[in-house]
Amino acid sequence: MVTSINAKVNVVKISSESDIVVVRKMAREASAAMGFGVTDVTRIVTAASELARNIFKYAGEGMVHWQIINKIGPSIGIELTFEDNGPGIPDISKAMTPGYSTGGGLGMGLPGAKRLMDEMEIRSEVGKGTTVIVRKWLKR
Amino acid sequence: MTAGNVSVVKVREFLMVTIPPEPDDDTITALQEQVLQAMERYEAKGLVLDISMVDTLDSFFARTIAETSQMVSLMGGRTVIAGMQPSVAVTATQFGLTLGNALTALDVDRALDILGYGELGENHGNKY
Repeated sequence: MVTSINAKVNVVKISSESDIVVVRKMAREASAAMGFGVTDVTRIVTAASELARNIFKYAGEGMVHWQIINKIGPSIGIELTFEDNGPGIPDISKAMTPGYSTGGGLGMGLPGAKRLMDEMEIRSEVGKGTTVIVRKWLKR
Repeated sequence: MTAGNVSVVKVREFLMVTIPPEPDDDTITALQEQVLQAMERYEAKGLVLDISMVDTLDSFFARTIAETSQMVSLMGGRTVIAGMQPSVAVTATQFGLTLGNALTALDVDRALDILGYGELGENHGNKY
């Protein structure tokens, strides 16, 4: 069942603003194909849009890919990974505080994306880059 | 007037914009400029933003809508956001997005009611 999902695109390279739309499209098609309902699809796509924009805004370029994940039992989920070799996040707990931004934005992207997803992991090293992984489990 | 593939249409004394399902940042930014120019050119009293086709409202889009509404307000106009999909409303709320001082309506008909279109004549627009 899982392998039957026709994933035409599972990696998107981000190097321009218009690639954010490509990421949204990928996230929408992947999550809809997995069987997520319209509201969860919207949550996943919105979170993906924020995290992809962060890559473009802070690192200039990076990669986004997704995969299906399993946990013990019948549950499956979608995992999206956002990677860049940008400046990194000096203080992740600050970056997760609503309203905090170093990029002139509203500081809603990371905390907002976390609320929309079930799980979020951030790994970042200053000067090396940032990896953000988000997951949403399919409830059935 | 068009911004990318979005048209700013004048309807009576108001501007009407239908946002496409997945607008990119450039389209949204260009649209803001076009709206403000159209406000002046047509001496419009307000703006209806039809977002019924929009599947994804992220923070950039929401901020630009809030800003545009504020700018239209400074020019003496009112903005009504019409037709937000239920899934978008749920997501925007959980995400923590707000639309500034923009008014909202279930659909374009009701948006025109809010802006007073229905008061121009008995036979114009639907009354609920």
